[in-house]
Amino acid sequence: MDGLDLAVPAGEIVGLIGANGAGKTTTVECIQGLRKPDAGVLRVLGLDPVTQAAQLRPLIGSQLQDSGLPDRLRVSEAVTLFGGRHGAGGQEGASLLEQFGLGSRGRAAFASLSGGERQRLFLVLALLGRPRLVILDELTQNLDPAARRSVWAAIRQLNADGTTVLLVTHEMDEAEELCSRVIVMRDGRVVDSGAPADLVDRHAALATVRFSLPDPPAGLLDQVRRLDGVLGVDRLGPRVTVRGDRRIIAHVGAALVRWDSVPWDLNVQVPTLEDAMLDLLAAESRPVELAGAVR
Amino acid sequence: MSGATARLIRAELALMRRDPLVLTFVVAFPIVTMLIIGGAFGTTPDRAFDYTNPAHWYVASYLTVVIAATGLVMLPVHLASYRERGVLRRFAVAGFPRWSFAIAELVVGLIVTAVSCVLLLVVALPVYGLPPMHSLWRVGLALAVGAVGFVALGVLLGSVLPSARSAQAVGLLLFFPSFLLGAGGPPPHVMGAAVRTIAGPLPLTLLTNAVRSPWLGIGSGGASLLALAGLTVLVTVVAARRAVL
Repeated sequence: MDGLDLAVPAGEIVGLIGANGAGKTTTVECIQGLRKPDAGVLRVLGLDPVTQAAQLRPLIGSQLQDSGLPDRLRVSEAVTLFGGRHGAGGQEGASLLEQFGLGSRGRAAFASLSGGERQRLFLVLALLGRPRLVILDELTQNLDPAARRSVWAAIRQLNADGTTVLLVTHEMDEAEELCSRVIVMRDGRVVDSGAPADLVDRHAALATVRFSLPDPPAGLLDQVRRLDGVLGVDRLGPRVTVRGDRRIIAHVGAALVRWDSVPWDLNVQVPTLEDAMLDLLAAESRPVELAGAVR
Repeated sequence: MSGATARLIRAELALMRRDPLVLTFVVAFPIVTMLIIGGAFGTTPDRAFDYTNPAHWYVASYLTVVIAATGLVMLPVHLASYRERGVLRRFAVAGFPRWSFAIAELVVGLIVTAVSCVLLLVVALPVYGLPPMHSLWRVGLALAVGAVGFVALGVLLGSVLPSARSAQAVGLLLFFPSFLLGAGGPPPHVMGAAVRTIAGPLPLTLLTNAVRSPWLGIGSGGASLLALAGLTVLVTVVAARRAVL
C-alpha cells in the first residue's frame, strides 16, 4: 500500500474493489491487525488494530479470503468454538443458523457442506456476537446465482440492523447492488471513490443504442446525429449504432417513435460499474488522483 | 486457562477422535507392531535384550513409539493442514489469544499420547504381561519429558512445513528410521557399529533408553534423560515462538 487514505462511515456498506494485486486483501489484513503497516495512522472503530487488538477483535466480524475450517468440524461445533468468545454460541448461534438456512445442518461436517452452505456458515461465524463492523472478503466467490442472492439479502438485512460492512469483491454487480459507496484501488492506492452511480458517470458515462433499419426514412439518421448527447452514429448495412451520454437512450427512442420506425431489435447498452472500473484500471498512464474528475 | 483455549481443546479433541491418521498411526500402528515383534522374539530372556524377556523389552519400548507417532506424524500434518487452509488465520482474526492454539495443541497431543499409551498397555497385559517397573518415577519423568519434547517438535514441524503433504512426507521420513533404529526395531546389541552410532543420538533412541532402562532395571537411563531434557527445552522454546497466532 502506498499513501492509502481510506474512511469507512459507520452504518454503510462500503465496497473495496480493484484488480488482483491492488492491495485490497493487504488493506483488510491491516484493518484486522494481521499485518502491521510500515507507517501511517490506522484506526478502526477508534482503536489501533495492532496495539489494541484484544479490544478491537470482538467488535469485528470477519470473513477472510482463502480461509477454511477443519474438514471434520461440525457446523454446531464451529458455532460453539467461534461464538464462545461472546457467549454467542447458544441461542444466538442457533438463530443465525436458522436465518441462513443451516438450522438442519448442525451435525454436518464442514467437508460435507456445499459451496453456498460453507459461505453462509462463514457469514454466520462472522456475525456471532453482533459485531459493529463486518469485513467480507470475496464472500460470494464460486456461489451459484441463487446462493449469491440469498447472501446479498443477508448482507442488506445486516446493514439495516445498523452494522457497518466493508465488502471486498471482484464482482462488480455485487458492489453495484449492495454498496452505498465504492473505493477503487490500484497499485496500493485509492484511485477514486464514491457512489456506484457517480463512478459510472465519471468513468463510463457512454451509452450505446443499436438497432436495424434496412430502409431508414430519409432524414432520420441526420436527425439522430443532431440529438442532444449523441457523439456518433455508425451505419454498417442495416445495423445502426448510436453512441453518446445516457440521455441518448430517451432521445433516440423518441425519435424512432416520431418517425414511426420502431425497430424489432432495439438494444440499449447502459454503462455499468464494471465498465467504470475497467476504464479506471486501464488508465495506468494517467495520474492516480482522479477523484472528482469528470470525463 | 482461558475460555477460548478450553474451547479449542474441546474442539481439537473431538477432531482427533475422527481423524483416521490418529487412529491408524498413533493408536493402531504401535499396538499391532508391538504384538508382532513381541511375538517374533518369544519370551525367553536373551543376551541381545540385556537378558530380559524380549516381549517385555518391546512392551517397555513401544510407549515411546506412540509418543513419536504423535510428534512426528500426527501433529505436523494436522498443523500444516490448518495453516495451508487458513484455519489459523481464522482463529487469529476471531480473537483467540495468541498462545491459545499452541497450548491447545500441547494439551491435546499429551492427552492423545496418554490415552494411546494406556490402550497399548491394556492390549499388552493379557498377551505378554506387563514387565515390573523398577523405577516408576524415572519412567514417569522420562515419558513426561519425552512427550512434551515430541509434541513441541510436532508443533514446530507443523509450523514450518508449507503443506500437509510435505508435513506427511517429512514426518514419515523422520518417523520410520527413528522407529526402526530407536524403539521398535532390533535391539542395539544386534546392530552393526555404524548403525548403532547413527541410532544413538536420535531423540527417539534417547527417549526409549530413558524409559526402558529404568523400567526393566537394566540401567538408570540418566544420561539419555538429561540429553532428552536439553532437546525438549530447546524445541519447546522454538516451537512456542513459532506457534503463536
